[in-house]
Amino acid sequence: MEKVLITGISGGQGQLLARRLARVTEVCGADIVPWEGAGAGIRVHRVDLRKRRFEDVVRTERPTAVVHMGFIRHFQQGERLRHDVNVRGTKQLMDHCVKYGVKQLVVLSSSYVYGAFAENPYYMDEDFPLSASRSYPEIRDLVEVDTISSSFIWQHPEISTCVLRPVNVLGTHVHSMIASYLALPRVPTVMGYDPMLQFIAEGDLCEAIVLALERQVRGVFNVVGPGEVPLHTTVSEVGAIAWPVPRPVARLLFDRFFQWGLWNYPAGVLDYLTYPVSLSGARFMEQAGYEPKVSLREIFRAMRRTT
Amino acid sequence: MRAVQEEEGLLVTLRDLVGAFRPLWVRRLDEELAARITRVPTVLNEYHYDGYGLNLDSARRAALPLALLYKHYFRAETFNIERVPSGRVLLIANHAGQLPFDGMMLATAMLLEAEPPRIARGMAEYWVSELPWISVAAARTGALVGTPRNCISMLDAGECVMVFPEGVGGMNKLFKHRYQLQRFGLGFLRLALASNTPIVPVSIVGSEEQQPGFANLRRLGRVFGMPAFPLTLGFPWLGPLGILPLPVKYRIYFGEPLHFDGDPSDDDASIEEKVDVVKAAIMRGFERGLKDRQGVFK
Repeated sequence: MEKVLITGISGGQGQLLARRLARVTEVCGADIVPWEGAGAGIRVHRVDLRKRRFEDVVRTERPTAVVHMGFIRHFQQGERLRHDVNVRGTKQLMDHCVKYGVKQLVVLSSSYVYGAFAENPYYMDEDFPLSASRSYPEIRDLVEVDTISSSFIWQHPEISTCVLRPVNVLGTHVHSMIASYLALPRVPTVMGYDPMLQFIAEGDLCEAIVLALERQVRGVFNVVGPGEVPLHTTVSEVGAIAWPVPRPVARLLFDRFFQWGLWNYPAGVLDYLTYPVSLSGARFMEQAGYEPKVSLREIFRAMRRTT
Repeated sequence: MRAVQEEEGLLVTLRDLVGAFRPLWVRRLDEELAARITRVPTVLNEYHYDGYGLNLDSARRAALPLALLYKHYFRAETFNIERVPSGRVLLIANHAGQLPFDGMMLATAMLLEAEPPRIARGMAEYWVSELPWISVAAARTGALVGTPRNCISMLDAGECVMVFPEGVGGMNKLFKHRYQLQRFGLGFLRLALASNTPIVPVSIVGSEEQQPGFANLRRLGRVFGMPAFPLTLGFPWLGPLGILPLPVKYRIYFGEPLHFDGDPSDDDASIEEKVDVVKAAIMRGFERGLKDRQGVFK
């Protein structure tokens, strides 16, 4: 890991990782949006991952390792663009990695790819099927990214590839779906349900990525945090007020408002507020020596509303 | 924020008021439960939950009505509960009586009589987790979806898991089949072999007469989306009242722990041999219980 290229470097998690890595190695990054105030040692290229200019970046920078987190995870800009950036962007990045001799690739997937279902067992391992598309078709691009990344591990044994599936990420830098959900003035929940949610602090996820790079781990890994709590405990711990809505009503409202562009969450997210998606992080802990350091209490304290 | 706190305060006051009017013996039982539940060996996190959603405060609240049923309605008696070893263990019991009071009473026995008190983890049908409120109540009191993975991870955590291998077929068995074990599922024995878990056979005497069923209209049940449609003494003639069980006397016999060795992926025939050992042990408990008792209600 002499030189790391981070895609999506201007995002909260990207900035955090860039600063952390800049202490030990040379860091550059690519993102479609600028990063004001990037340190002097960090070069940020403003490019679209799907465009030829991005290939030029990889060719001239010649990174030895790439961390891929340049995804669109929200729904504000339409499904087609999202799918194109996430899936085609990933595919092209992989081609560049092969062509320009990148030795290591880390792809940041997520725990959502497993899907939330009533029959989910607790502490699912990495071999569990990825069924999110069944109930939440809006994120099938993320499932596809995970799948092509996982097969890339075997197609290109010369590149040490690692796919990370972290649980819900919280922190003051990241703009995750779950963080913006918990920041809503009234947090809608599903009446009569209270699933266990797992959380990881953004700092711990950062360390997990650094470990994956340093130890050159290959494979697909769940990355978990310190533990799990019910959704309603989470809502009250961050100082928010839950607003339980009957499930059919919530489905209808989410569906309509999402279609009309008044609401950022499609109805599929409701399943994640209804059924647990509980992962076992044992494999990554064993193979990378990872250990979450930030406790649930500290995670929620950082997210607590000031008003 | 403040409004919510006041509301909570009001609710708490209301609950305390109702609590103050409970008779002394009910309060004593609640205190006993509270004292026992703090000694449960299950490890909880900083928010007092385990990874599967168990919360001991919720469990205690649910346990009070069950303990009242246990002591005063079913007048349950347990025998040889000290045979349940500490750490991981599978309780394998007969299933009967249309509604799973046998499971609730077995769990209550583990809480009230076992030393130290244990939370017996129930393995629920997967559709239970689709039901609003009920799914949360099940999780808070320690039950979870009965997939093999869940069972293994519970056992790995050193928990006490109860399984009723007769399943729905046992629960809705007809009165004429009482104390006859229906077809046993084999999964529990494979899990015991895979995780090297001792099996404690449990014979529950009483539940088989709590709600005598005369017929089971499965097709009609399917129309209503229920796994069975039993015709019993009370159901459906008396409506919702008809689902109440008769005040039979419960006797719960714990057998000697059984240890099995072998390949968990053996063919069904060799697993079935081992399952028959468990069934025979449960039948021995039936014999003892039926000899001991003076009548269904005594």
